Amino acid sequence: MSEGFLGTAAPLAADVVLLLEIGMGVGLLIGAWLARRKRFRQHAWCQSAIVLLNLAVILVAMTPSFRSQVLPRIPAKLGRPYFALATVHAGLGTITELAGLYILLCAGTRLLPEKLRLTQYKAWMRGVLVFWWLVLLLGFATYVRWYVPSWFANQRGFDSGRR
Amino acid sequence: MRRSVSFAVFLAVVVLGASALTAPPRNAAAVAPQKAESAEVKIDNFSFGPSTLTVAVGTTVTWTNRDDIPHTVASSDDPKAFKSKVLDTDEKFSFTFTKAGTYPYFCSIHPKMTAKVVVE
Repeated sequence: MSEGFLGTAAPLAADVVLLLEIGMGVGLLIGAWLARRKRFRQHAWCQSAIVLLNLAVILVAMTPSFRSQVLPRIPAKLGRPYFALATVHAGLGTITELAGLYILLCAGTRLLPEKLRLTQYKAWMRGVLVFWWLVLLLGFATYVRWYVPSWFANQRGFDSGRR
Repeated sequence: MRRSVSFAVFLAVVVLGASALTAPPRNAAAVAPQKAESAEVKIDNFSFGPSTLTVAVGTTVTWTNRDDIPHTVASSDDPKAFKSKVLDTDEKFSFTFTKAGTYPYFCSIHPKMTAKVVVE
């Protein structure tokens, strides 16, 4: 397994995913700005590409990592911050990605029957954007907790004193 | 002449006796069964300690995670000689080395954490 390039203890995949996710978060904000400027075609392309790219990242990188490192230890270890953070991040992230895909299906295709389509697009899109950034911050916190030992030096001292 | 023969006999008895006392018993292993050896590696502060551990064939090495972060122990070779599950704080993983060689290993969550076991 390759080492990361951000100077933390993370593997290469985690560093790449972190930068991709930050880029996607910023990209969604740019997409929202495009909608406000009434450039709806560019807005649609931007947000669709990001939602689909995120789906690929989830399937290729995040899910295997979660299955091997976190899933075997829950629910027994949910009291531990690193497992709890990763689990909440995964849960909220899954819901947000599914909501993003739902908006994509409703707005960009005719695959869903009429009664299943959205009527309040703006509210859904804004809600997903807010949740997306919340999940991104949780993902950042998860990265820091798992891979940046120096940020938790004091807590480690406290824990080892308790042992 | 008789004196020198007596001295030669005495010398032979002394030499034979001494060699009988110093030679190892032929079936020592059967008399005293060899004790299984063990060694420990501590995982703390994002490192394995000691970073190089030298043990004899048949030794069981136990890794203990003393860090407050989950770690794994996975051999670097392919196919992997050993691989632990994710070890939470104070959890242990043991592996018995039955073949001589050098076994580099790492933490699959934090690949910068590397160390090796030398089995002689």
